[in-house]
Amino acid sequence: MHSSTSSSDLPDPALRRVSSSGAERLTASDRPGVAQPVPERDIPERPWGPIFVATLVLFVLLVAGWEFYWRAFGATPGYYNSNAEWAQQRRRIDTGEGGKTVLEGSSRVLFDVQLPVWEKLAGERPIQLAIEGTSGVIVLEDLAADPNFTGRVLAGVASDLFFTGFAYRGEVVPFYHKETPSQRMGNWLSRMFVEPWFAFYDFDFALAAVVKRQAWPRRPGIPAIDPVRKLMEQGADRNTHIWSKVETDAAYREIARGIWTQRLNAPPPPNVDTPEKLQKVIDAQIQRAVDAVAKLRARGVQVLFVRPPTSGPYLEFDNKVFPRAKTWDVLLARTGAPGIHFQDYPELNQAWNLPEWSHLSLADSERFTAALYTIIERDFWPKDDKRAAAR
Amino acid sequence: MVFNSLTFVVFFACVLVLHNLPLSWTTKKVNLLIASYIFYAAWNPPFIVLLWVSTVVDWYAAQGLVKAKREAARHAWMLLSVVANLGMLAYFKYGQFMLDNFTALMTAMGWAYHPAKYDIVLPVGISFYTFATMSYTLDVYLRRAAPARNLLDYALFVTFFPHLVAGPIMRPTELVPQFEQPRRATGAQLRFGLALMTLGLFNKIVLADSFLSDIAERVYDADKIPGALDAWAATLAFSGQIFCDFAGYSTTAIGAALCLGFAMPDNFRFPYAAVGFSDFWRRWHITLSSWLRDYLYIPLGGNRHGVARTYVALMLTMLLGGLWHGANWTFVAWGGLHGLYLAVERFLRGRFGGYRPGPLAFVCLGLLTYMLVNLTWVFFRAKTFGKAWLVLGGMFGQHADARPILSYFSLIAAAAIVGAIVSTHWFMRGRTLESVVARTHPAALCAAWALMAFAIVIAQGEGSAFIYFQF
Repeated sequence: MHSSTSSSDLPDPALRRVSSSGAERLTASDRPGVAQPVPERDIPERPWGPIFVATLVLFVLLVAGWEFYWRAFGATPGYYNSNAEWAQQRRRIDTGEGGKTVLEGSSRVLFDVQLPVWEKLAGERPIQLAIEGTSGVIVLEDLAADPNFTGRVLAGVASDLFFTGFAYRGEVVPFYHKETPSQRMGNWLSRMFVEPWFAFYDFDFALAAVVKRQAWPRRPGIPAIDPVRKLMEQGADRNTHIWSKVETDAAYREIARGIWTQRLNAPPPPNVDTPEKLQKVIDAQIQRAVDAVAKLRARGVQVLFVRPPTSGPYLEFDNKVFPRAKTWDVLLARTGAPGIHFQDYPELNQAWNLPEWSHLSLADSERFTAALYTIIERDFWPKDDKRAAAR
Repeated sequence: MVFNSLTFVVFFACVLVLHNLPLSWTTKKVNLLIASYIFYAAWNPPFIVLLWVSTVVDWYAAQGLVKAKREAARHAWMLLSVVANLGMLAYFKYGQFMLDNFTALMTAMGWAYHPAKYDIVLPVGISFYTFATMSYTLDVYLRRAAPARNLLDYALFVTFFPHLVAGPIMRPTELVPQFEQPRRATGAQLRFGLALMTLGLFNKIVLADSFLSDIAERVYDADKIPGALDAWAATLAFSGQIFCDFAGYSTTAIGAALCLGFAMPDNFRFPYAAVGFSDFWRRWHITLSSWLRDYLYIPLGGNRHGVARTYVALMLTMLLGGLWHGANWTFVAWGGLHGLYLAVERFLRGRFGGYRPGPLAFVCLGLLTYMLVNLTWVFFRAKTFGKAWLVLGGMFGQHADARPILSYFSLIAAAAIVGAIVSTHWFMRGRTLESVVARTHPAALCAAWALMAFAIVIAQGEGSAFIYFQF
């Protein structure tokens, strides 16, 4: 702030800018200690009508070109995997659907469990709350803290996320709790007027993402870890499957695999860079799950952990860094909750098609869902149990 | 709601339609008032009550001021307004800060004080609208302005949605008279207003959110020790981010008001081309700096009571200005540094009053000003002093062995965007946007406008809040 009050201290005349109309346009900084007058805003003398129309035409052409480009790339309109969409599904628990089955976990439960197949077999469509790149413990804790939730939980376990507590999308839960009316309205408008119509509306096609992934030189000392590319297509209630391009486009599939390879070969983060530190983190995450499961079971909620299939380097990484005996087995033993590890069931331990080692192809995700549900109903959640509970 | 959201697009379209219907002026003003309440309630409906409290208290305080016969009564009405507004601000914005400091003080004195949790949500824009309403009673108290003729005009002045949550901080004399006569934008005003909104949103969504914020976050929010290149790149990126974010908001607000036929004042005047700090504060957040000057610095004595009092008033004003930005000592340090810069500049001007820099020295002084402003941004951006010292240490080469944090892309993006911003400010430092637009070929205007709108759409911003909302 300027420290003068007298008119002699007014700014240099060069700062008293001359407007296009030839008049000076002063601001409050030029008028100390007086009532400020009504501001003047001059309009540049330009043919604004034709400019506006031409701009509109050019804008529409540019957007249409962008849309055409991404459709040619293989994208189709779908629903955005936004925080608001997750929150909308989460809210169903508060609005009369608290007794339903909830699917939660990471991207494998999101991609590999197909809601229409489950619905066909169970007679009820579950609520999909799994979120990619994020430990399932986070949503488990949120459900445990919500007395409205009295249903069942299928909790997905992706070892590298669940046992480290990594939460790429950890903000979804606080977003749900703090979502404003404006954000809810924005999500509704987006689902009505944007998402079903525009294929380019996807995080992977955003301007910054596109610019950042160009072939920029690598700075020495910076680990080569590229952002995960688009891997999925999502429906209206977060029913999700792998993007067909990952299955059909070998070059794109190699990009996806290359990104996983970068991550699997990257040095561990400082908090887990020794076996002792890693074990400490694993123990802490299991304890979080133990506490959450205890709360849920105390009010009659059944929790079932599921370890979906992986293959190739991903499976090798999990077996090496997160051996089952130190993670999965301990989780089940300490929580007392049952679990389905894909390697324990011949129906699930098949030669699945996992294009990028982590997620099933669409056809196999449908077969996997059917096989998984059959096991669940047979061994864990018999249909009659639910009817009895409902009575 | 935020300007950069689909909700606002629909809201604004509805407001524009309503404002252009053949209705009476009073009805249109009522529409604007209701729309402004909806705009605010879209964040957190109960906080509308605070707006009402602020509105009603200052309305009656101003009425009381006018009717008061004795000076003591005038003082009392003025104090009522100040205490009510600052009390609200203190409770919602500084409650936790005061409690934390009190607890720390008690602990330092050997008393383990454990207060109850102070879980108060900060109402969006409270710092802005309390200052706007206070200026109303203070202007009436200082006999600079007459009170508004009716409550509707006054309530609309407080609540008018373009300036409500993040400024420009309007004075009653700037806006209330505009509500007295019917206003409707001409075709040119509407289109130029839309162009300004596009420019503002381009600054916010494309430059600040899509490219610059991530660069600053990677250094300031990570648990890493930055080297010189990373520390400077992140700080320069933040200088660009906060300008594009805040000036973007102001430009959008000015454009929105213009579309409705109202004029709002400039809030930024190409500040990164400032030469000296008094010049910087004539160009940065003009409506706040002039507010602090008129209602704090001048009442504290300004430069009317000798050299020592001038420096004290200057420092106090800037320290409180820093605290206004956030309930954290780092903001006070930011304000304090600016106060120190202004004091040193004032001293140097006194000693070397006849000095007139040549063109090269002028530019060098400008760049020096920008560099010193960047040092202050470290305290503004860092969440703790520890982080601020870490970044400053990096900037001054104390972490020679630090591992790289930012990619070449981030370094190039920071240099390119911030370089473009600073160059633009120097090109524009003696001009107005309007004067440049008036000389630009229509085809170039079309291309620039369409490209900015296109970039906004393909940037796919997720409606992230403007930085200044937290203040």
